Amino acid sequence: MFRHLFKMIWNKKKQNALLISEMLISFLVLFAVFSLLVYNYQNYKKPMGFDYENVWVINYNNTVKTDNTDSLNLFYETLRQTIKSMPQVKEISFVNDNVPFSTNTNQSGFTHNKKHVDHLNYHLVEDGYSTVLNVKMLEGRWFNKQDIASANESIVINNSLKELIFGKENAAGKLMGNDDDKIKWRVVGVVQDLKDKGDYTNAGIAIYHRADTGSFHWFGKILVNVTPNADATFESHLYKTLANAMPSSNVEIEHLADKRKNINYFALVPLIVLLIVAGFLMVNVALGLFGVLWYNINKRRGEIGLRRAVGATGKSVSSQLVFESLILATFSLIIGSFFAVQFPLLNVFDLPSSVYITAILLSMIFIYLLVLICSLYPGKQAAAVYPAVALHEE
Amino acid sequence: MLKNYFKIAIAVLKRRKFFTFISLFGISFTLTILMVLTAFIDKVVNDKYPDKKRDRLLYVNGIELRGPHDKNGTALSFYFFSHYASTIKGMEKISISSRFNGTNTYVNNKKIALNYKYTNDAFWDVLDFDFIEGKPYSKQQVDNGELVTVISEDIKKAYFGDVLSVVGKYIEADNVKYRVSGVVKNVPITLYMIYSDIYLPYTVSKTDDKSKSYMGRYTGILLAASKSDVPKLQDEFEQMVKRLPMPSKNYDQIFCHADNFITGYVRTGNEESSGVTIALTAIAVFVLLVMLLPTLNLVNINITRIMERSSEIGVRKAFGASSKTLVYQFIVENLILTFLGGAIGIVLSWIIIQVINSANLIDNLVLSLNITVLFFAMLTCIVFGLLSGVYPAWRMSRLNVVNALKQQ
Repeated sequence: MFRHLFKMIWNKKKQNALLISEMLISFLVLFAVFSLLVYNYQNYKKPMGFDYENVWVINYNNTVKTDNTDSLNLFYETLRQTIKSMPQVKEISFVNDNVPFSTNTNQSGFTHNKKHVDHLNYHLVEDGYSTVLNVKMLEGRWFNKQDIASANESIVINNSLKELIFGKENAAGKLMGNDDDKIKWRVVGVVQDLKDKGDYTNAGIAIYHRADTGSFHWFGKILVNVTPNADATFESHLYKTLANAMPSSNVEIEHLADKRKNINYFALVPLIVLLIVAGFLMVNVALGLFGVLWYNINKRRGEIGLRRAVGATGKSVSSQLVFESLILATFSLIIGSFFAVQFPLLNVFDLPSSVYITAILLSMIFIYLLVLICSLYPGKQAAAVYPAVALHEE
Repeated sequence: MLKNYFKIAIAVLKRRKFFTFISLFGISFTLTILMVLTAFIDKVVNDKYPDKKRDRLLYVNGIELRGPHDKNGTALSFYFFSHYASTIKGMEKISISSRFNGTNTYVNNKKIALNYKYTNDAFWDVLDFDFIEGKPYSKQQVDNGELVTVISEDIKKAYFGDVLSVVGKYIEADNVKYRVSGVVKNVPITLYMIYSDIYLPYTVSKTDDKSKSYMGRYTGILLAASKSDVPKLQDEFEQMVKRLPMPSKNYDQIFCHADNFITGYVRTGNEESSGVTIALTAIAVFVLLVMLLPTLNLVNINITRIMERSSEIGVRKAFGASSKTLVYQFIVENLILTFLGGAIGIVLSWIIIQVINSANLIDNLVLSLNITVLFFAMLTCIVFGLLSGVYPAWRMSRLNVVNALKQQ
């Protein structure tokens, strides 16, 4: 039966070539769209890793005019006490510019045991950071007072970095650092990935350094965990306090919940636009396929009538037509998959292969469904052809 | 002749309504997508408010210092503009303004987040803001460090409410009270070099701008005396950058450019790859993707339709019509169809643009169908019609007369 179908397809190779190329391009478009969707969905499924409700970010710039680290520390420790003494404030942590949901990134890289690590998110934080954001420790502990005296600088790494460097082994207590440097860091804990670039973005790899006595030179933001009853009145009070304490600095208070909304918006809008465009393209293709198949069947009434006359059932006639179009789809899917498979093989765009493979499967299913739906009605029509009428027309 | 073709085309369109619907659907939606895209690009790139003298302006948005191991790029310092850039010959004026930054203000226990920008007085001469009321701050006010400000329409509404005039009133921002000197029409945030909610004289800036480093938080716009002076000015600027002393031993190269609007707008801050190429490739790939599928679809449908008309073609050929005439006729028919789809597309895009505008996706970015967009729409129509008409017409012209007639 299949040999017969192939022959039928071959006889009309010119028209079929066009159909195949149309399906091929639809497949490639779908593959791109599904890859993006699957990637975003996989990221979305991962836990957030921290709490952002009731956390505020204070932006300031360090304008204290002194080179003396002690007086700088004294100034900011006083400020810390002032903020912490407010009843609505639970905990605060000074941080560098790498706060959650900010579009700024602060990345570095290093080589550990000849393995090069790039795009490493650099965080400079204080002991209070884990409480402010309620992060979840997978191994070891967060920074505390013990770390002041340790011989090797203590660091906390996130789970992705741990898997990259230590694989399945435990990381807590191990040393790590750049191969060229003599001084290594000691990993005191592994924290669950914080999706701090938004719900739909991969957390990436991150390293957390503990603030030391000179760190106030590098800080520019304060994370504040407030009680749920902290309202705009309190916020304006906090703002005034800060602005008066740092008269020569620009101060801005932002809410992490708002920042999250913003960053998600910028991730979602392009995706939605893409979905609308792809949706329109698919409707277009579906209508086109339907039209062409329908017309072809009308043109082949003679042939169909003859087949019915020599004893073919209506069902076998319609299934022949459906199979013909499915074979066409298979051809285009084989060619399309050849191109699509190159993406995971060559590791383009650095996405996990599972994303591409799921996307290929989803687009295949989609194309088959599309072709099936578009050929079912014309097939049914063909089954309804009366041999006598069809042959009479000839 | 054309009138005849038109009549035939309409008759054919009426005959197979389903196919006509598919064709029109494909054409109109493709055009709609392309038109909304062009409307967006046109708004971002071609909207000349408030930099109306764009053909005389050069934008300096950043500097990059490079050494064997180090690479550092950011906006520029005020010192760079006041000491180096302002020495360039043939420049009429230079606008210097900081990047916009956020702060808060609280009115009646309500928080207003606003962006501020520090500027010099030439900012108001180089750019042509539409003042709803009041006037910009003067050179003298800037030199004296007066606490004055120009605010946007939006902030006027958010801070003062629906009042008629606010000039002379005080607005508190970043814990300082500024006297309102003027109110200007809003600028969309996509124009990031110029956009802000409140504009302040650079002399009232809280941060110390006296640092002699090249890097800082300011960007500049140079105004050339006339359009023909622009290349010369650009050249002078490049020369000036070449003469800059290296700030430290770590660096051996300085990159800083005075660009025209588009190049400056998309400059990535990476010297190796031009932002224009990246932006153009992205747009080209998108357009190709959006157009390729519907075109293939149309080709498919058109071929099907032609085969249906094989008897008509056979008769015409038998009576002496040349292949050329037939191809010509079919392409004209196809163009008529495309223009019909184009008209629907224009209506659809108008509706979608209204929806986008009312959804206020990006603050103050009001899209509109203007002449440029319509021109591009016509152009895409023609390309589309030709693209989807030529191959089927060629196939048709090769039909054998005898076969065509016999098929009936």
